[in-house]
Amino acid sequence: MLLEVLLVLGTLLIYFLFSKKKEETLPFKDGWWGRGQKPLTKEDSSIRPFKVETTEEELSDLFRRLDQARFTEPLENSCFHYGTNSVHLRKIVSYWKNQFNWKKQVEILNKYPQFKTKIQGLDIHFVHVKPPRLPEGRAAKPLLMVHGWPGSFYEFYKIIPLLTDPASHGLGDEHIFEVICPSIPGYGFSEAPHKKDFNSVSAASVFYELMLRLGFNEFYIQGGDWGWLICTNLAQIAPNHVKGLHLNMVSVSKLGLTHLLSVLLGQYFPGLFGFQDEDVRRMFPFLKKGLYRILSESGYAHIQATKPDTAGCGLNDSPVGLAAYILEKFSSWTDIEFQNLEDGGLERKFSLDDLLTNIMIYWVSGCIVSSMRFYKENLQKGIGTQKHEKLTVQVPTGIASFPNEILHIPQAWAKKKYTNIVSFHFMPRGGHFAAFEEPELLAKDILQFVDKVEKEQLWKKKGE
Amino acid sequence: MDDVAGAVPEKRHRGRESRRGDTGTVSSLGAAARQARADMWRDVLPNAWESILSRIRSFEYSQKNAVLVPAAALGVGGMLLYWLRSGHKIKTIDMGDGWWGPGERPLKGKEDASIRPFKIETSDKEIEDLHQRLDRFRFTPHVEGAAFHYGFNSTYLRKVVAYWRNQFDWRKQVEVLNKYPHFHTTIEGIDIHFIHVKPSYVPHGRAVRPLLLVHGWPGSFYEFYKIIPLLTEPAKHGLNEGDVVFEVICPSIPGYGFSEAPHQKEFDSIATARIFHKLMNRLGFREYYIQGGDWGSRITTNMAQMLPQSVKGLHLNLVFIARQSLGRLICIMLGAYVPWLVGFTREDVRRFYPYMQKNVYDLLRESGYMHIQATKPDTAGCGLNDSPVGLAAYILEKFSTWTDKSFLRQDDGGLESKYSLDELLTNVMIYWVTSSIVPSMRYYKENFSKDPDLSAHNRVGVYVPTGIAAFPQEIAHVPRVWAKDVYKNIITYSYMPRGGHFAAFEEPKLLAQDIMQFVQKVEQL
Repeated sequence: MLLEVLLVLGTLLIYFLFSKKKEETLPFKDGWWGRGQKPLTKEDSSIRPFKVETTEEELSDLFRRLDQARFTEPLENSCFHYGTNSVHLRKIVSYWKNQFNWKKQVEILNKYPQFKTKIQGLDIHFVHVKPPRLPEGRAAKPLLMVHGWPGSFYEFYKIIPLLTDPASHGLGDEHIFEVICPSIPGYGFSEAPHKKDFNSVSAASVFYELMLRLGFNEFYIQGGDWGWLICTNLAQIAPNHVKGLHLNMVSVSKLGLTHLLSVLLGQYFPGLFGFQDEDVRRMFPFLKKGLYRILSESGYAHIQATKPDTAGCGLNDSPVGLAAYILEKFSSWTDIEFQNLEDGGLERKFSLDDLLTNIMIYWVSGCIVSSMRFYKENLQKGIGTQKHEKLTVQVPTGIASFPNEILHIPQAWAKKKYTNIVSFHFMPRGGHFAAFEEPELLAKDILQFVDKVEKEQLWKKKGE
Repeated sequence: MDDVAGAVPEKRHRGRESRRGDTGTVSSLGAAARQARADMWRDVLPNAWESILSRIRSFEYSQKNAVLVPAAALGVGGMLLYWLRSGHKIKTIDMGDGWWGPGERPLKGKEDASIRPFKIETSDKEIEDLHQRLDRFRFTPHVEGAAFHYGFNSTYLRKVVAYWRNQFDWRKQVEVLNKYPHFHTTIEGIDIHFIHVKPSYVPHGRAVRPLLLVHGWPGSFYEFYKIIPLLTEPAKHGLNEGDVVFEVICPSIPGYGFSEAPHQKEFDSIATARIFHKLMNRLGFREYYIQGGDWGSRITTNMAQMLPQSVKGLHLNLVFIARQSLGRLICIMLGAYVPWLVGFTREDVRRFYPYMQKNVYDLLRESGYMHIQATKPDTAGCGLNDSPVGLAAYILEKFSTWTDKSFLRQDDGGLESKYSLDELLTNVMIYWVTSSIVPSMRYYKENFSKDPDLSAHNRVGVYVPTGIAAFPQEIAHVPRVWAKDVYKNIITYSYMPRGGHFAAFEEPKLLAQDIMQFVQKVEQL
C-alpha cells in the first residue's frame, strides 16, 4: 500500500516538475459546421430578427404525450436519492398539462429582441437587449453572457433588466450594459453542428465572430457551466478584445502534486495552501464534498461524453423523461441536500413556470441530443489533455463563488489558471444556476467587478 | 465448573460464524495448517498422557467422579469430532433474510408457497399503444460520419423502427415465448417468474441434472431460448457430451421482466442469490448446477458462496474480479513481455493487451450507462419507460458493442450480422410490456452503493467446482491465473473461438458444449 502511494506521489512530482502553464494565446478555431461541403460563395452575414413561435399541433402533441406517460413507482422512502422521484414528477406533469401556459411563456420569451445570423455554417440564435434609457453622453458596455447545460438563454431573463437598467432596480447606474445572450450551437434555437469536433473552442470562436459582427471591439463576458469554459476560451483567443471575464463557476483540469497535498493536508494547514476559512468549510471533508459528490453526480456526464445519441434518444421522444432528467439537475445542483426531500426542493428556489419554460426550449427545438454531444466533443479525449487546458488566462477575471456549487474551487487553485483575478467573492447563498436563482447577487458581483476593471483601467494592463 | 468442557466447543462455534466480508482467522485447508496441528500434538501429547495415567492410578470411586468423568469424556470426544470435521470447513457468506413486498412484512401467516403456471399475454390495446408511440417518434439526425461512435446511429434506428412497426409480430413472438412453461411463485414477498423446461424424452441410463441459468442486463430469460433445447435434448441437436441431460430453470431477476420488482431498498445480488436458492429448494432440488453471465455471473457466484453444498458446479461466461493491487499492476506490466513469468498464456496476452486501450479506455467508454444507473436509476430510466424507441436504442446499443467492439465503426452497428431483429426486439419488448427498465437499473445502484468495486465477496472465495468459458469479444478479459484468486476450484477454463458478452444468445452451441464438458468433468470427480 505504501509502495503504491509513493509511486503515485513520485509520478506526480515528476509530472509537476515538467509541466508548466504557458502564456500563449489560443488560436482562433475556424470551421465549417453546416451540412455537406462548404459552399464557395461567401456566407450570408445578415442579422435577421427572430421570434419564438408555437402551434396548436405542437401543443396537442405535447399534451398527448403527457397524457400517455408511463411512470414507475419509486422505492419506499427514496426521496430524490435514486434520481427524480416519480410521485412528485406526476404532480409536475399535472401542472404542466393543466396550468402551464406555453403560449403565455412564448410571449415572455419574445419580450426581449432575438436574432439569428449565420456563422461558420450554422444559424446562431441570440438575444440582444439594449438599455431602455441611457443618460446623456454615456455608452452601454457590451456584455456577452453564455449559458450551460441543461440551461439556456432563458436563465438570464431575470438578470438582464438588472444589468441593462440597474437604476430602476436599486443598483447604481455607473455601469449600464447591453446584453447579448447567444444559444450555444446545438442548444435551443441555435442550429446544431453537422460535423464532429465542435467543442468549447469552436463555440468561443463562433461567439467571438458574433461579437465582432455586432460591431463590438471590446466587451465583457460572463458564464457558468459550459459558459465558464467557452468564456475562458474566448478570453484566451482574444485577450485584447475581452475587457473582463466574470465567472460564477470555475473548474480546474490540471491537477498536480500541490493539489493532492492540499486535499490531504489543507484541512489542518489551510494557511500553507492559501486556503481561507470559507474554503475549508466548503471543501472538507474532501471525500464527501469532493470525491463522492463528483462520483455520485457525474453519471450523466459520463454517459453523455461517450454515448450522447443513445442517452438523448428517448428524451427527445418523451417530454416526461426529458423533464425528469433536467429537473434532477435543478434540484441537486441548487442544493445537494435537496436529495433528501420528497419534492427535491425544486419549488423552493424556482417557479414551475420557469423550470418548465427552460425544459420546453429543449423540447420544442428537439435539441437534447445535440446538447449532449457537446460533452463528447469536449471530454472524449479525457480531462486535462487539450491545448486550451494548458494555457492560462491573463484577462482581468472576477469570480463569484456560490456556496452550493457542485464543487468548490478555492482562489488558491483558480489563480494558477486565472493569473489576473481582480475579485473573488464568497457569495452568501445560491447554487449552480446562479443567474436563474440569485440574479440580484450575481448582478451586484458583476457590477462591482466591472467597476474595478473600469476604475483601474485594468484591461489595458492585462496582468503582465 | 461442570460445564467447562462442554462450554469450550460452543465458544469456538460462535467464533466460527463467518460474517460478510470477514477475512477471518480460520484457515482450514492446506498442509500448513495440518503441520501446525501435528507439531502441537507432539508437544502436548506426552504431558497429557502422563497426567491422564496418574489420574487413573489415583482414581477413587465417588459420586462426583461418576458424573465428572463421563462428562469430561463426552466433552473431549465432542471436541475431537468437531475438530476433525472443521478441518474441511470452507468460508461461506451469510444467507440472511429479506422482505421485498410493499409495506411491512406480515407478522402472521406463512408465505404462499404455491407454484402457479403462467402464460404471457398481450392485447390489442398494448399493441396499438406501442404502434402509436413508434409512429410519433422524434428523430435527431446524427453528425456526419458518426457510425456508432456517438451511440446508436439514428439513421439505422429509423430502419429498426420501420421494421418494428410494420413487420415485427408481437403476438407471434408471445407464442414463441410461451412455448416453454412459465410459472410464478412468491418468495420473500415478491412474485418470482421463471421458466422450467424438462427434457421431453430421457434415454435409458442418462441422469437428468437440474441447471439454473441466470441472465443479466439488458438481457432476460429470453436469451436462453436457443440454448435450452441444446441442454435438454443434446442428442437431437448433434451434441453428445457424455451422459448428462439437463432440466433447465431460468428465473427472471426481481425487477426484470415478469418478476415483480422489489418495493424496498437494498435488493442486491446476495438477496437474489438467496431467493434463487429458495426457488430451487421449493422446486424440490437439493443439489444443482448453476450458470450465468453479466449479473447472472455475480448472482451465481454468490449462490455458490452461500450454499456450496447445494451447488454441484458453477459455470460462468463472465468473471468479475477485484480491484487491482500492486501485485496485479506488476503482473500487467511484465505480462506483456514475459507472460509465462506471471502465468499468462499466449491467448491471454492476445486478448489482454494493449492494456490501457482494452482495459482502461474501452471500459471508460463503455461504462457511462453503469455510472448513471448506479447513481440515478430513476432519472435514467424514466424516459425509456415512456419511449419504446429510446428504450430500444439504449438496449440495442449494448447488443452491438458488447458483441463485437469493432461494430462501433459500422453504420448499422453490426447488429443483424449476429442476431435477427425479431430476437432483439422480443428482448426489448419484454422490458417494454413489463415496464421493468427502471427497476432493472436500480439493481446497479443497490449493488454498487454497498460495494463499489464488487470485491467484498472475492475475499471469501468460491470453492465449488467452477467452469469458465472465456469469450474473445467479452468486454474485459480475465486470465485464468487471476480468476484463480477468487475461484479456488477451477475445473475447466476454455478460450472460446468466437462470441461476445451475450454468449447464450449469440453462440448457444459453443456455450452448451462448454457447459456439458464442464459438467461431465464434475460428474467424474
